Amino acid sequence: MERQPFLRSLLGGWTGLFLIFLYSPMVVLAILSFQSGPEGGPQFPIEHWSIYWYRQLFDLVPPSRVAPLPVGAALFRSLTLAFSTMVVSTVLGTLTAQAFRRHFRGSGAVFYLVVLGMMVPGVLVGLGTALTANALSIERNWWSTVFLVHVVYTYPFAFLVMLAIFNRFDRSVEEAAWSLGVSPIQTFRRITFPLIFPGVLSAMLFAFTLSYDEFPRTLFASGGQLTLPLAIYGTFSVEIHPNVFAFGVLTTLFSFALLAVYATLMTLSSRRARRLAVQEDIA
Amino acid sequence: MVADLELVALRKTYPGGVSAVEDVELVVEQGEFVSLVGPSGCGKTTTLRMIAGFESITAGEILIRGQRINDLPPEKRPTSTIFQNFALFPHMTVRRNIEYGLAARGIKSAERRERSNRIMEKLDLLTIADRKEAGLSGGQRQRVALARGLVVEPRILLLDEPLGALDANLRRSVQNELKLLQRTLGITFVFVTHAQSEALILSDRIVVMNRGRIEQVSRPADLYTRPRTPFVARFIGRNTLVMGRLKDASGLIETSYGPMRGVVADSFLRAGDAAQIVLPAEALEPHRETSNEAALQAQYQGNLLSARILAVEVVAHTRLIRAALSDGREILLDGHTGHAGGEGLVAGSSLWIGLRPEEATIVAADKR
Repeated sequence: MERQPFLRSLLGGWTGLFLIFLYSPMVVLAILSFQSGPEGGPQFPIEHWSIYWYRQLFDLVPPSRVAPLPVGAALFRSLTLAFSTMVVSTVLGTLTAQAFRRHFRGSGAVFYLVVLGMMVPGVLVGLGTALTANALSIERNWWSTVFLVHVVYTYPFAFLVMLAIFNRFDRSVEEAAWSLGVSPIQTFRRITFPLIFPGVLSAMLFAFTLSYDEFPRTLFASGGQLTLPLAIYGTFSVEIHPNVFAFGVLTTLFSFALLAVYATLMTLSSRRARRLAVQEDIA
Repeated sequence: MVADLELVALRKTYPGGVSAVEDVELVVEQGEFVSLVGPSGCGKTTTLRMIAGFESITAGEILIRGQRINDLPPEKRPTSTIFQNFALFPHMTVRRNIEYGLAARGIKSAERRERSNRIMEKLDLLTIADRKEAGLSGGQRQRVALARGLVVEPRILLLDEPLGALDANLRRSVQNELKLLQRTLGITFVFVTHAQSEALILSDRIVVMNRGRIEQVSRPADLYTRPRTPFVARFIGRNTLVMGRLKDASGLIETSYGPMRGVVADSFLRAGDAAQIVLPAEALEPHRETSNEAALQAQYQGNLLSARILAVEVVAHTRLIRAALSDGREILLDGHTGHAGGEGLVAGSSLWIGLRPEEATIVAADKR
């Protein structure tokens, strides 16, 4: 590859195009979020640059004909929901993957049943949940039916991540602990868990982000109290103002912050080992 | 005295009917160093893992000092295991690795420290006590694994190819250490390896396994000189096996190269049975073709073969001769260069191969 400059530049160009395609919508929205307010609309040209819409999000401007985004409560709901979903799905996914390390009767069927949760079209799941809840006279709510649907959706992702982690896990480390007289529960807590922790972090990241911006399932399964994606979609049906773009920029920054936390935790867990290895090389 | 370890009709069948271990019987005395050897898939590792408690037992019993341990989980068995990849806890320091088993047994930290210090001193680990696995060399990891297994004072130490991951030089020095350690501690060692030379050096007794069954249990020297089955004759050492028919149970076999004499190792062999004679490369003595045939016939009591030399290779004091017998079959001679008559032995020339009857062994024919 190194000796094929043509192929190299071709692939490099392709990658560049991909990145442009990936980020240009976001860049456009980010630029438009600096539109003047309150009279500026959600399109080019920029009349003049301002941070009016950012200030409007935090109620720092006098009231105008544009209503503030109704995202405060929705944001709180979505964060709470994403956090709870993350915890429950990661625990379930880890435990299920642990069970799959040994073959048991019907393991194949169970595998496909679990993975079905991410394969079935979201609209159908949401609709089915709504109908079932109505039939059973269960009130739909973001903390009940939606939470359930989010767990069903994200649990297979956490499960698959942990399955991959356990596939590469060296079982003899656990056997060594047992043979030293350490009980299986202690072995899991003190030996297995610290070693699979990077995988657990990845599973958590998946579960959180998938739940945080889940739309089709939530649309039908929720009651009157909306999650963030639903609340934002709701504002589109009236009129779109650049305050939505400003909010989009802020949530994207929040996602980047999450990724940064994830990356920091990952490097911290591997750096110590590497540093010791380097010391050994010098010695 | 009760044996330290007893395997009674031990059997392992995997779901789906694949049989890994069949009717293994073995008695190991206290302080013995016993090796299980055999080709991969012979059941040696499965047997070890059943003793450790990592594999369930399909049938039979395992007794440690007379006590049945079949139903004990691994953490309750008086054994500890050393793994081929050492299986150190990578997130713990060397000291923590070694003390972890003691902590799990509820031993107070002062005593933990004292016991770990003692074993680390013995294995020369004190200077690296605060490192983690990533900062250790292969030999150091091996010693940490040993220290961790030994500090909990097991009745029996199970070793699953623990030298397999080390390079040849390190291997040799660790072999010596291991043997010394086992002698001073007086702990029973059960050692699994596919390297027969390792087993021959280290063991008090060797168990040769093949296809889930025990082929032979012998002291190393006996195993080498007196294989009891065709499999062992092929697996241990460099032997040439020649088919024939037993004419006399006292040790006369009729082969296509004429009658030959050897020691019958299989007590089930009767006159008239198909059998084969084992010719060890080290016991075959080369003689120039100009030698007096009658004298040689008398010297070797008829165990004399005529062959043509294909290649001669002299390495230091050993002379390897590859030769073809009268029907073209190749035979290997591994002799000392000091042996008389070396100068006529060159590729292309003929030679006589003599073998003293007491150095030849007669085993059964291969099973069909």
